[in-house]
Amino acid sequence: MCQNPNEHPLNPSHFEGSTEEKQTAQEVEGGFAAYTQGMKFFDPHVHMTSRTTDDYQALADAGVVAIIEPAFWLGQPRTGLASFKDYFASLVGWERFRSSQFGIKHYCTIGLNSREANNEALAEQVMDILPLFLQKEGVVGVGEIGFDDQTAAEEKYYRAQLELAKEMNLPVQVHTPHRDKKKGTERSMAIALEHDLAPHMVVIDHNNEETVKSVLDQGFYAAFTIYPFTKMGNERMVEIVKQYGSERIMVNSAADWGISDPLAIPKTAALMKIKGISEADIQKVTYQNALDSFAQSGQINEADFIHGLEIDQSLKFNGNTVLRGGQAPRVDKNSIFIR
Amino acid sequence: MTTAELIYQSIASQANPTELAWIEEKREADTKGLALAFVMVPRKVSKTPIQKDLGLLTGWDWQNGTVDQLVRVYFLIQLADKEEGKSQIETLFDTAEMNELVALYRALPVLNKPEIWLHRATDAVRSNMGPVFDAIAFGNPYPKTYFSELAWNQLVLKCIFNDKPIHLIEGLDERANQALANTLADFAHERWAAGRRVPSQVWRLIREFDTKTKKQDLERLATSQDSNDQKAAELVLNNSPLEAWKALEKEETAY
Repeated sequence: MCQNPNEHPLNPSHFEGSTEEKQTAQEVEGGFAAYTQGMKFFDPHVHMTSRTTDDYQALADAGVVAIIEPAFWLGQPRTGLASFKDYFASLVGWERFRSSQFGIKHYCTIGLNSREANNEALAEQVMDILPLFLQKEGVVGVGEIGFDDQTAAEEKYYRAQLELAKEMNLPVQVHTPHRDKKKGTERSMAIALEHDLAPHMVVIDHNNEETVKSVLDQGFYAAFTIYPFTKMGNERMVEIVKQYGSERIMVNSAADWGISDPLAIPKTAALMKIKGISEADIQKVTYQNALDSFAQSGQINEADFIHGLEIDQSLKFNGNTVLRGGQAPRVDKNSIFIR
Repeated sequence: MTTAELIYQSIASQANPTELAWIEEKREADTKGLALAFVMVPRKVSKTPIQKDLGLLTGWDWQNGTVDQLVRVYFLIQLADKEEGKSQIETLFDTAEMNELVALYRALPVLNKPEIWLHRATDAVRSNMGPVFDAIAFGNPYPKTYFSELAWNQLVLKCIFNDKPIHLIEGLDERANQALANTLADFAHERWAAGRRVPSQVWRLIREFDTKTKKQDLERLATSQDSNDQKAAELVLNNSPLEAWKALEKEETAY
């Protein structure tokens, strides 16, 4: 997300705007919120388990009203079924509550990630408990699944989970590999079609300039992860929207335990605004398309979050759910006093 | 009529025919089917607020409940009556989503052999999820009936610690005890030392008991700037009836 192409050689800038635009973008860095006033955002891919509570506060302040947390690899390989079970339970339990304290509606997708699919003995056990979790309230899809090293085991469990998604009529969130991405992406789509999944039920994630055309042409949703160094920068993202429009395109942060930015969506929206993309298009790629694609699960009711969480009856137990939307105690970070 | 029948009657008066047909089909299922039905309830039954309290069990308050929660309780009752029911319910606890946990804890007092779920109930008191703690603590007669004194005192103390209103705890005054009074006095001193306060209604739990510092504590309350604290001191000193404490039954923060 850096404006200086020399600063991060790993992520060369594809900035192609005018000198004037570049100047404006530099000026507003750090003050992006002035450009996103009144906008609401939906981040369809963010790993809040790996983030601090400060990030929730920042998300709420920046206008993020709903998020989807895909099940993923935690950085440390799991060695037993119980750690998977507890992780899935935390995505529908503790993390959901933590999010609600900041007025952000939390959904998740549940699946066996590609890396850990390579531990076949464990993968078999995980497959057994997936159907139970996929039936849970607020589980909006199977994800994130797909290829990492593109091994036979990865393919086996990708296929098995596509069948589960089809059976349960749930959208699929497909992780595409970092290495050999183009081939991995094509293969992921071909297999999904082979299993008779409707392309509109599949979100192909982590796209770039090289993969997007084929994904859109085949009728899939194309998600872009704005993530420094390894994935997309947001200047490049603006160019993508200029070229391909806003149909079936969405952005996400995929913020996790790496150097990532949970505010990637609002920052990208600000940059789009500065660079002259219409508010209607910005709304589609930073909110509406994420909502439309995952709402196909039947598990998302926009009314639950569009005006804040307080109208969610399930959170109003005894009229007393202590920390409702936006009511979490605020800490003034500029104050030297901690009380 | 059994509890299950009474609950079904209440559901039937509020659910639509499609929802009822689904419930009637699923209640005949085997243990696995019942457990899955429990999970699927929000997909099939709407979250309509319950119109009137059930009046089934003293202290089991459903005034702020929803029909889907009640349906979940209904399925759990069927499940608990079955031979393999306990292990299925354990699995439901282990894999529960937040609203499922709320329904599980709400159901405990009406399940077959409620006492076997004590370990789960005390886990809910340890939970940091607000709605889960509330489900066992408020409008639920389970803790009053089954908690040991130690577990009960933890429940009350955690409630105060988290700035939640203790008057919503069923059995609050009946189960007041000397050990709790001692702990609460210590707790109040800690808060005072930190420049914080305890909700005025907490002093109702010290009312009948002697603590080492009772006299000084009441003096401090009586001379405080806070009219609620003054009132609390007055009620203790006059040995006022419990109804008089109603005036102080509200949510108060530590500041």
